[in-house]
Amino acid sequence: MTTAIDQDRLSETFGALANSTRRAILARLADGAATVNELAEPFEMTLPAISKHIKVLERAGLVRRGQRAQYRPCALDATPLAEVATWAEQYRPVWEARFDRMDDYLTQLQQRKTGPR
Amino acid sequence: MTDQSGYPDAVIIERSFDAPVDLIWQMWTDPEHFKAWYGPDGATIPVAKMDVHIGGTRLVCMEMQTPDGPTQMWFTGEYREVVENERLVYTESMSDANGNVVSPSDPGMPAGHPSTTEIRVELEDVGGRTKMVLTHAGVPADSPGAAGWAMALDKLAAHVDAYSDR
Repeated sequence: MTTAIDQDRLSETFGALANSTRRAILARLADGAATVNELAEPFEMTLPAISKHIKVLERAGLVRRGQRAQYRPCALDATPLAEVATWAEQYRPVWEARFDRMDDYLTQLQQRKTGPR
Repeated sequence: MTDQSGYPDAVIIERSFDAPVDLIWQMWTDPEHFKAWYGPDGATIPVAKMDVHIGGTRLVCMEMQTPDGPTQMWFTGEYREVVENERLVYTESMSDANGNVVSPSDPGMPAGHPSTTEIRVELEDVGGRTKMVLTHAGVPADSPGAAGWAMALDKLAAHVDAYSDR
């Protein structure tokens, strides 16, 4: 089972990714760091609107901002994505253990009624 | 990362049980049977309410012993597909004891994040034994975000892999 903290973090990652503009920004950053101006270029959006999307990505830990001068280039941080990739797989051992118990329980049940079958 | 389940992010487990298919069906749909196996080790299932028909709701309580005393977790959901001895699909969300869904904080959260998951159980009789396929999906296949997910996750898979190798 995942912890509550992990779940909050995951929700934030999924929330950040559930937007096509933000996914496009991430795809662009996958090719290398970029300034907000560069990121805004392909979109018909104002700079403040793009900045808002970048802030969401920053909060989710998907984007880091450099400290250099006023450009503060954005860079991709894939750490939360690795957590998304393993989200479903975290449930595998939980289910496997449940089905082991189901197996044991079925054996008990069927032994109990060994009479007429 | 897109698998044969049709879901963008899912775990799939196939198991075979030495029991007839109707008994395996009861494992999932009869609360008394369900309670016997569902709880993780060290946990019990004090409550399991199941209204097993399409649109019917379920409410399950899991109680765990922790150093601070017993902790209860509640889960609610809705049955989406019910084909006796063949196929069961239901959703699952964390909730309170009254079945009110507890949302993971952010009120501006768009649809498609995994506060609701979907569980699919498929059963098949194989000469008196039962083959069972479980699919537990983080993003329900018909949610608005699902298609976008598959694309986004595929595209970013390479970066995830690169990170995992570090």
